[in-house]
Amino acid sequence: MLAYVVRRLLLVAVVVWGAATLAFVLLQLSGDPLNLLLPLDATPEVRERYRASLGLDRPVLVQYGVYLLNAVQGDFGTSLRSAAPALGLVLERMPASLLLAGAGLLFAVVIGVPAGVVAALHRGKPLELGVMSLALLGQSIPVFWLGLMLILVFGLQLRVLPISGYGSAQHLILPMIALGTFTAAAIARLTRNGVLQELRSDYVRTARSKGAHGRRVVYAHALRNAAIPVVTVIGLQLGTLLSGAVITETIFAWPGVGRFVLIAVSQRDFPVVQASVVVFAALLAFVNLIVDISYLFLDPRVRYA
Amino acid sequence: MRQPLVVALSIVVLTLGMAHAQSGRMVIAQGVDATTMDPNDHRETPTGNVTANIFDPLMKRAVDGGLIPWLVTEATPIDDLTWELQLREGVTFHNGEAFDAEVAKFNFDRLTDSDAPLRTSDLWTSVSEVTVEGPYTIRVHTARPLATFLTQLTQIFMVPQTYIEENGAAHFASNPVGSGPYRFVRWARDQEVVLAAFDDYWFGAPSIQEIVFRPIPESSSRVAELVTGGVDIITNLSPEAVPLVSGSGQAVASTVPSIRNIFIVLNVTGEGPLDDPRVRLALNHAVDKDTIIRTILGGDGVANGCPLNPYMYGYVEALCDPFPFDPERARELLAEAGYADGFTFTMGSPDGRYLNDRQVAEAVVGQLAAVGVRAELRVQEWSSYVGQVLERSIPTDAWLIGWGNSQFDADNTMFSLLYGGTIEGGAPRSVFTYMYDATLDALLAEARATVDQARRAELYADGLALVRDAAPWIFLYQQVDIYGVSTRIDWDPRPDELIWAFDAALR
Repeated sequence: MLAYVVRRLLLVAVVVWGAATLAFVLLQLSGDPLNLLLPLDATPEVRERYRASLGLDRPVLVQYGVYLLNAVQGDFGTSLRSAAPALGLVLERMPASLLLAGAGLLFAVVIGVPAGVVAALHRGKPLELGVMSLALLGQSIPVFWLGLMLILVFGLQLRVLPISGYGSAQHLILPMIALGTFTAAAIARLTRNGVLQELRSDYVRTARSKGAHGRRVVYAHALRNAAIPVVTVIGLQLGTLLSGAVITETIFAWPGVGRFVLIAVSQRDFPVVQASVVVFAALLAFVNLIVDISYLFLDPRVRYA
Repeated sequence: MRQPLVVALSIVVLTLGMAHAQSGRMVIAQGVDATTMDPNDHRETPTGNVTANIFDPLMKRAVDGGLIPWLVTEATPIDDLTWELQLREGVTFHNGEAFDAEVAKFNFDRLTDSDAPLRTSDLWTSVSEVTVEGPYTIRVHTARPLATFLTQLTQIFMVPQTYIEENGAAHFASNPVGSGPYRFVRWARDQEVVLAAFDDYWFGAPSIQEIVFRPIPESSSRVAELVTGGVDIITNLSPEAVPLVSGSGQAVASTVPSIRNIFIVLNVTGEGPLDDPRVRLALNHAVDKDTIIRTILGGDGVANGCPLNPYMYGYVEALCDPFPFDPERARELLAEAGYADGFTFTMGSPDGRYLNDRQVAEAVVGQLAAVGVRAELRVQEWSSYVGQVLERSIPTDAWLIGWGNSQFDADNTMFSLLYGGTIEGGAPRSVFTYMYDATLDALLAEARATVDQARRAELYADGLALVRDAAPWIFLYQQVDIYGVSTRIDWDPRPDELIWAFDAALR
């Protein structure tokens, strides 16, 4: 087990290095950052002075070496746009992103898992149809439309929740629903399918024939075994929710990292993009590791040697 | 020329400041957050809106585009290469540091230090030395005559020397200390910037006690916040949202013609239909500016027919009338040029960089088709589009762009966009120009080296006449900025896009 974790951690390092390199290469290909950094009519002398002061006049391989060397020490350089350390700017926005992603995921699990179980238990009945129709709807509604509708109803008409911003529990509610709905629907569908499949399996029939209580069979046996694909999806979704909350962050003016990085990419703010790619790669690799380890507890048949 | 050039003091403006009663809080929502608090290290309006409230420039821009003496009270040209500046006495920074000649010199030196360039350094490349002549007097020496010196003084904001020397530029960029009407309180990136009234401001205490800047990227969220009273001023209100704002009773739409012109550059490469001035004039006559403004911009735009607009020094109304919409005339000109059956060319446009830019480009394509000219539109995302423009690798025969003249002076448009570099030993061609006219180049080069303002005006008038005949662009319109303003706030927008909170009061 320990050897496995160590091996996986080494793999994390390789993944992060690969992502860092890929980010560097893609940014080099994306064009000259000075085009967007300086006024359009900046003179050639000023452009060259800037290029030198940012170290962009050095050979690409030297830039790459310096970048890796500094990155290992946690230094990704100074943001071209904001004149502040790039890693700090990314990390500064992580709490807001983690809060939103965590809340969105919690919302998705709290709504999605019970909905899936209920649908499975009411197979073929109107309740299943209702729950599954809602799930289909939840997966089909575009986030931006849902976000604007939430603002329209709760912010503009009823005026019970803040429209945008960050800081209080009330501020979290609308973005959480907007972000979590898609995942809730996905989890509901997955849970229903998983539970249905488990309910048909031999051990459930055996448990029932032994006279085990219906609810116990569902929650202690079927749901636990149906959990593996669900946990996998939750792990994958956490990454998506963290980095892919751009639309939600934009609509609700949420100070997360997604939109920040989007702007950095469009402005070719190399240090910020590189820092964020490394942070995300490390984060996702860790989440995957945790998901894999959780299988051990969910399924005794799983062994890592 | 040696006579002192005493810049008119606007006493009316000065006394206005004293009449304010103090109260309350005002929240301003912009699309993006500030990037820095260093007023001289950015060229962005959203950042400038924050820093302009914390810092004082040497000259202040008046709402008609003119200049108001600010921390410089008098500017005198000693000769073509020397300006003497009298500085305002009794100005202190928010931390108690005094403003004087040494601090002013420090500010110029900071911008001309070639080892640590700032983002406004390119304005001052011709400054060779700044000397202290008295406690409140400095002289700025330039390597060549700098005709736009006075107007550039609106773009240099005074920062405190001791504070920066003790704390470093990086600390200063997120913990600013200025001498302006508001002092910095806190900045939570992507959340809010909070400023508080500086009661000892030399111009008088500001009326509103607290100013909050909030970035709200989505324009419909900005509108929702405005009409529910969450914020007081929003920028970039879209024309479609104006009825909603006006109908809410909470806020009104407030407009001002901006310094920015929108136009389509025609690549005159020496061959093809666009090389013929008659064809270029025909395109100008074929575009119905008024209909575009009415239908796509909600009526907010001012049609024009030259590179300048009325705010700019050098503007001549008679040479800037919009080309009349006259499809008949366009067809005649095309026939004269040998293109009676029209021709095909490609046109580029960004999407989302300027208000409804893509839609405007599409309308132009449709109107050109009516006179038989087929334009193929290629829309691109801004960062790659602007890269191609700057590197002169734009793949289309024509391209739509906007130009906000930061100096309110013809030089910043005419030289920056139209100088063809035909003068031997002179400056290299502007990357934006595809027109090579030795006469025009000579006029533009002389104008930027002439300190005599009357002579400059003549030179620009001659230049405008040449540009009008050559029609190197399809001239479209002067953009109008639309703001949403809460009914509880008394504030009028400015042409330079700045939100100076000192001008605002609660009703």
